Amino acid sequence: MSSTPVATTSSTLLELDAISVRFGGLAALTDVSFSVNPGEIVGLIGPNGAGKTTAFNVACGFVEPTEGSVRLPKSGLTNPQPSQLARAGVARTLQGVGLFENCTVLENVMAGAQSRPGGRFWTSLLGLPHGQKELKAEALSVLDRLGVADYAAQMPTAIPYGIAKRVAVARALIARPSLLLLDEPASGLDEAELDAFAELIRGLRSEMGVLLVEHNMDFVMPLVDRLVVLSFGKVIATGTPSEVRQNPAVIEAYLGVDE
Amino acid sequence: MIANILTNRIVNDIAGGTAQGVIIGLVALCLVLVWRATRVLNFAQGPMAMFVTYIGMTQMDHHANFWVAAAISVAVGFIFSALTEIVIVKPLYHKAEINPIVVMVGMFTLLEAVASAVWTNIPRYPTAPFSSINFQSEGNPTGLSPLSTFQIGAALAIMTLVAILFNYTSLGLKLRASALAPEVSKLLGIRVGRLLTLGWGIAGAVGAVAGVVISLNPGGLAPNMLDAMFILGFIAAAIGGLDSPLGALVSGIVIGVVMQLINDYWNSNYADMVAVVLLVVVLMLRPQGIFTKNSTRRV
Amino acid sequence: MSGTFKRLAWVLGGLVAAIAVASIQSGTDAANLTKAGAYCIALVGLSFLTGWSGQISIGNSGFMLVGGYSAAFWTLHHPGEPVAISMIVAIAVSAFVGLIIGMPATRLRGPYLAGMTLAFAVALPYVPQSFAVSTLGGSQGLTITPLSAPQWFFNLFDTNNTLPVVINSRFTAMVSVVIAALVLWLMSNLFTSKTGRAMRLVRDNDVAAELVGLHLGRTRAQAFVLTAALSGLAGALLVMVSGTASPSTYEFGFTFSIALLTLMVLGGIGSLSGAIIAALLGVYSLQITTWITDHTGLGPDSWVSAKLPNLAPNMENILFGILLIVTMIFAPRGIVGLATGLRQKLISVTRR
Ligand SMILES: Nc1ncnc2c1ncn2[C@@H]1O[C@H](COP(=O)(O)OP(=O)(O)OP(=O)(O)O)[C@@H](O)[C@H]1O
Ligand SMILES: [Mg+2]
Repeated sequence: MSSTPVATTSSTLLELDAISVRFGGLAALTDVSFSVNPGEIVGLIGPNGAGKTTAFNVACGFVEPTEGSVRLPKSGLTNPQPSQLARAGVARTLQGVGLFENCTVLENVMAGAQSRPGGRFWTSLLGLPHGQKELKAEALSVLDRLGVADYAAQMPTAIPYGIAKRVAVARALIARPSLLLLDEPASGLDEAELDAFAELIRGLRSEMGVLLVEHNMDFVMPLVDRLVVLSFGKVIATGTPSEVRQNPAVIEAYLGVDE
Repeated sequence: MIANILTNRIVNDIAGGTAQGVIIGLVALCLVLVWRATRVLNFAQGPMAMFVTYIGMTQMDHHANFWVAAAISVAVGFIFSALTEIVIVKPLYHKAEINPIVVMVGMFTLLEAVASAVWTNIPRYPTAPFSSINFQSEGNPTGLSPLSTFQIGAALAIMTLVAILFNYTSLGLKLRASALAPEVSKLLGIRVGRLLTLGWGIAGAVGAVAGVVISLNPGGLAPNMLDAMFILGFIAAAIGGLDSPLGALVSGIVIGVVMQLINDYWNSNYADMVAVVLLVVVLMLRPQGIFTKNSTRRV
Repeated sequence: MSGTFKRLAWVLGGLVAAIAVASIQSGTDAANLTKAGAYCIALVGLSFLTGWSGQISIGNSGFMLVGGYSAAFWTLHHPGEPVAISMIVAIAVSAFVGLIIGMPATRLRGPYLAGMTLAFAVALPYVPQSFAVSTLGGSQGLTITPLSAPQWFFNLFDTNNTLPVVINSRFTAMVSVVIAALVLWLMSNLFTSKTGRAMRLVRDNDVAAELVGLHLGRTRAQAFVLTAALSGLAGALLVMVSGTASPSTYEFGFTFSIALLTLMVLGGIGSLSGAIIAALLGVYSLQITTWITDHTGLGPDSWVSAKLPNLAPNMENILFGILLIVTMIFAPRGIVGLATGLRQKLISVTRR
């Protein structure tokens, strides 16, 4: 893997360019730049409150940056709105479960394909077929790929946390994204589930780029190609896991603030 | 010179409009108090105030004087509103947003029907201890009468009391704390449930003052007497931002004056329309109202 | 159920209902069913908005007024044209008004929305009454020739020399029931479709809904336009049957918005069968109230009524107010929810 950080090529999937975010007096992010390329798994780490979720929110358009810009070079979008992401090939899972509580697991996964063309208002109203049957089959196969197809007919509130997190990933995958953003996907998973999950993400590399926020270092380190380390809203290090591990600034940030 | 100003048509409209506007602001204040305490928009605010006003003011038929009758209204207003919170609102706090709305709409229907059954739809006119003939200045009428001066005074007095209670007493501090941060307040040993009930009670008492004051208007006391006032109060509260008592008062006065001007210079039928249009325009530009800060979404 | 089979079931069901309605003997029942059809359409519209897209409106009587007046206005100015065109015009105009009201609505949270729509419904009757006296008839309103039964209907259903008035009510009842069935069918399609799902996603979790590519404002506005269009159709139907659209029409006043909300909750929020039950409940509420008061010793001869002579005319609202509060607290899914719960309990008991 390349060890050059923030290498921007023409095929870059996501690019944060000199982003600063201030909430009132609090500088949540200061001059943060990084990018994600196809086939790459990038980890975004940092102590609690470092600004990781804020970086995700900026990338998705939920938080407007005070300075700087977000670019999705593949679709030519700058500072996209949240509802534009799906069509631009970006899928994201939310911290926590983030499923649609009054829809079945199957419907939740089908919802991931909501942005596909077809099924306009009039077709819907007149009850004409608009690919829902095919979509149902596809949703079941994605659930199967994640090993949770048995839960298809259940409601999200009735299934275990670990299963629900995988359903959320299934919902993201059915959109066939080119960039997948995962916010603490491994929280609440046990050892065996963690291994399986890491294997799954590794398997996605051929199809998409992945950016993930995670606290569990034992999970992140062997999985990612590259790390971006945030502390107090600033990027204090980037590089391969082994480079970052030896970086004195990172050690200090973690020892000084966390644990 | 001064006489000219006092009897000038526009000045009169502004004075008269302010009188009505302060009352609108008072109704809006009730909505704001309940909203701040419990995040419920009390759609039955009007009928609740109407109901307790009837209970108090009909005591004048039994030889109570105006002040005693008014005091009964306010006391019953407090108790009735607090009971309403305990019995039908508490079970709904953690339910969907629409549940308390629907329940209060039910309360609206129920109270107006009961009032009409008990007191009929024929308006009553409680005798006010003040004349409704406008003050004169060199033979010409000004915009205010002893009655409207009393109405403004009563409304402003109750608002000042509420402001002092919330901002300068420890009870007020607890009330605000339980409304804004119930979880933290619980940890601090504040009995949040009781304070929310108290919040409703205070709003009910304020509503009763509004009811009494409005029953002295030419429309008198009738089961639907507060319907229009409730809508205007809501518009004022929403324009102000539902969270801001000062916003409620200011928007109430603005609406009162604007409506008075429309009544006088245009057509009284248009006044309500204009208020609604004003609301739609304000909400389009600032959905969170004018007097509250924009809140960011939690993702 | 497969698509074609389902469609066939709907057509047959609608046909049976239509024939049954058309052969009803009592003129009052026929008139009531005409109303019930219109109420059902309005209720489906509100139920969809609240149950599926999670928004609340206490202003749908306003959209009914818009639809009713549009139909009357169009019919007056285009005499002799098919009734269907008036209906379509009514739907289009009220959908447009729904879009205007829905635009700020999409950015508002529940209570603001409820209050704003209520204010709209309260203020709207003033428009024809005072703004457009010359075009919309002032407080008199507009009068048109009401819908009447065509010859073939007389030939088919006039079996024993019934009064023409009664035949007419039977015809309008049939028309109204058929339109209501059509609306129910369309809405049941929508529910299982992609568009219907979009509404539910936005209601359930707005952040996740945006991430799957839904524009919140647009989706919510769409729901608002649809509810306005259906209310407009209901209003138009009432006007075409009665022949008048006036500011004092009961269904055009804000109290009817409250009645709609009440009926919808009693029937079951978001349920199509709930809307049918609620519509019948709305039309027969007076009879039901009388029956209840007669059987509970609260009737006109009772001691309560002797003390409170004004109780009887208010009994209906008292009952509905109490029912609404009790339902919302103890059975928030309404009659349909209770029935489903009961059925499930029975099943589990018999299985044991
Ligand atoms: N909407 C907001 N308004 C005000 N402050 C905010 C907002 N969102 C985040 N913050 C603040 O910005 C800082 C960064 O928060 P962020 O959630 O991005 O951290 P994080 O790295 O994701 O932390 P964690 O590991 O705990 O999830 C924190 O101090 C947080 O309190
Ligand atoms: Mg975070």
